[in-house]
Amino acid sequence: MNLEKEQMIVEKILQKAPYAEGTVRRQRRIEFRIPPDRIRDFLMLLKENNFETMMQITAVDWLKDGEIELVYQMWSYTHAVHAFVKTRIPRDVDKARVPTVRDIYPVAETYERDAHEFYKVTFEGNDKLEMPWILEDEDKEAGVCHRKDFDMLGYVKKKYKLLDRFEEDKEDYVI
Amino acid sequence: MVSQQELVKEARENGMELLPLEKDTYELFFGPQHMATENYSLILKMDGNRVVKAIANPGFLHRGFEKLAEYRPWYTNIALFLRVCVPEPDVPEAIYSMAVDELMGWEVPERAQWIRTTVLEMARVTSYLFWTMGMAFKLGVYTAGQWAAAYRERFMALFEELTGARVYHIYTIPGGVRRDIPGDKWLRQLRDTVEYLKDKLKDFDNVLFENYITFKRLEGIGVMDKKFALEEGVTGPNLRATGVKADVRKLDPYLLYPELDFEVPVLKEGDALARVLVRRFEIEQDLYILEQLLEMGPPSGPYKVEDPRLKALPRFKVPAGDAYAHVEATGGDFGAYVISEGGNKPYRVQIRGPSISHGVRVIEQLLVGARIADVPVILMSLGNCPPDIDR
Repeated sequence: MNLEKEQMIVEKILQKAPYAEGTVRRQRRIEFRIPPDRIRDFLMLLKENNFETMMQITAVDWLKDGEIELVYQMWSYTHAVHAFVKTRIPRDVDKARVPTVRDIYPVAETYERDAHEFYKVTFEGNDKLEMPWILEDEDKEAGVCHRKDFDMLGYVKKKYKLLDRFEEDKEDYVI
Repeated sequence: MVSQQELVKEARENGMELLPLEKDTYELFFGPQHMATENYSLILKMDGNRVVKAIANPGFLHRGFEKLAEYRPWYTNIALFLRVCVPEPDVPEAIYSMAVDELMGWEVPERAQWIRTTVLEMARVTSYLFWTMGMAFKLGVYTAGQWAAAYRERFMALFEELTGARVYHIYTIPGGVRRDIPGDKWLRQLRDTVEYLKDKLKDFDNVLFENYITFKRLEGIGVMDKKFALEEGVTGPNLRATGVKADVRKLDPYLLYPELDFEVPVLKEGDALARVLVRRFEIEQDLYILEQLLEMGPPSGPYKVEDPRLKALPRFKVPAGDAYAHVEATGGDFGAYVISEGGNKPYRVQIRGPSISHGVRVIEQLLVGARIADVPVILMSLGNCPPDIDR
């Protein structure tokens, strides 16, 4: 498999961004790891290097490490390469903060609202975070989110009063 | 004519407070019951019959699939994710399976690849026919819409024979497909259906795509340019309507697409008409791809990988790692990001539907200045599919 194109892109970007680590995963997939405070600089650099579109911001809750990983999924039509830009922030709700990138990629505003609602990450500078998104107010107040420590089964049992249908000691439910 | 003051007074007497809106504007809740929005809502601030401001209001279809997937074994998740996109449920199945294949390091057998490609193309045609139905109804050209629904039924029957289900197929699974092609008769039926629909495209042109009403209604509304489209994450036919030649099947080829010959239709105007016509040309290309696949014929061999680990599916484990797979759906770029920690359940799955960019920021900006009658048409021309946003 010829990975020259991918290696060239990674080298070119790493030259200008010494704080980042970059690897070629396979054909048309590259990966960068960066510190969270440099995310804006790095995405600006990617935009200059023809990564025209942001596909998604995936928040991943790594409970054991006490960290939330944000994966910015970037796609370049020019190179036909998908780049994962990974950064890790603390898991505490107060400390889970990164600067917004919506002025660089306007579409990020939507993804940031999604990540804020389901993973409680605050994107500083995005004033639409508190606007109603997918969850209902009632669920939001009860703390519903997709973080790993949220007891979804317990909440569902309480909300829909399905107490008799589940065995308390059985953990491995296929819902 | 009742004056504003009197209205405010009457409202207060009845325990209501009228919101002070500027000028003669009023707020209109468009959806989720409106037929055009499909369980999705827009809050429109109207001045007369012009939209001054639009706010997307999703969330009526939220079922928490991404969270549910973390509680279920790898194979049972197929039955969840296909519900993310109702008109073409094979796409979420395929992306999830492709990502798991990559994590497992499986080389999917050739026969399975052929079947997957055929199913994806059939799904594209089915989805475009469904979309044609919606578009025709919104334009008031009901005849074409009813034809599209009827022709879609032929593909549904083929799907039923292949997979056992009409809409939700649960057919593409990690490692291949769930069962083999029923026989040569099915292939002949598919060939007949493709030829039949190819003939009927002329009728669609006459009644819908070359119709004066279509041009009059669609030309010059909901216009976006190339720069806007790229920055806003617009993908698929909507991006191609702004002059960008981009197709995941060409740029990031998967399955059998590198071996197939097809064109990527591109138009420059970027308005609703261009988006509709790009889709019209794509139906033709998809039928051409299906013809080529039938010409090629399904290769012999197994239809799924043979792996001893598949004997006990609830205990089936996937090595730790992450993978991203995406395909070209009729809405645009449909992707899945799957993370495994080495257990018998996924650690995290994220589905990226095209409507998360089309249906929120893009629609909010395209609707400004549009007439109320054009709102459903612009929404439909973007191919908005609300479950992508809500998941």
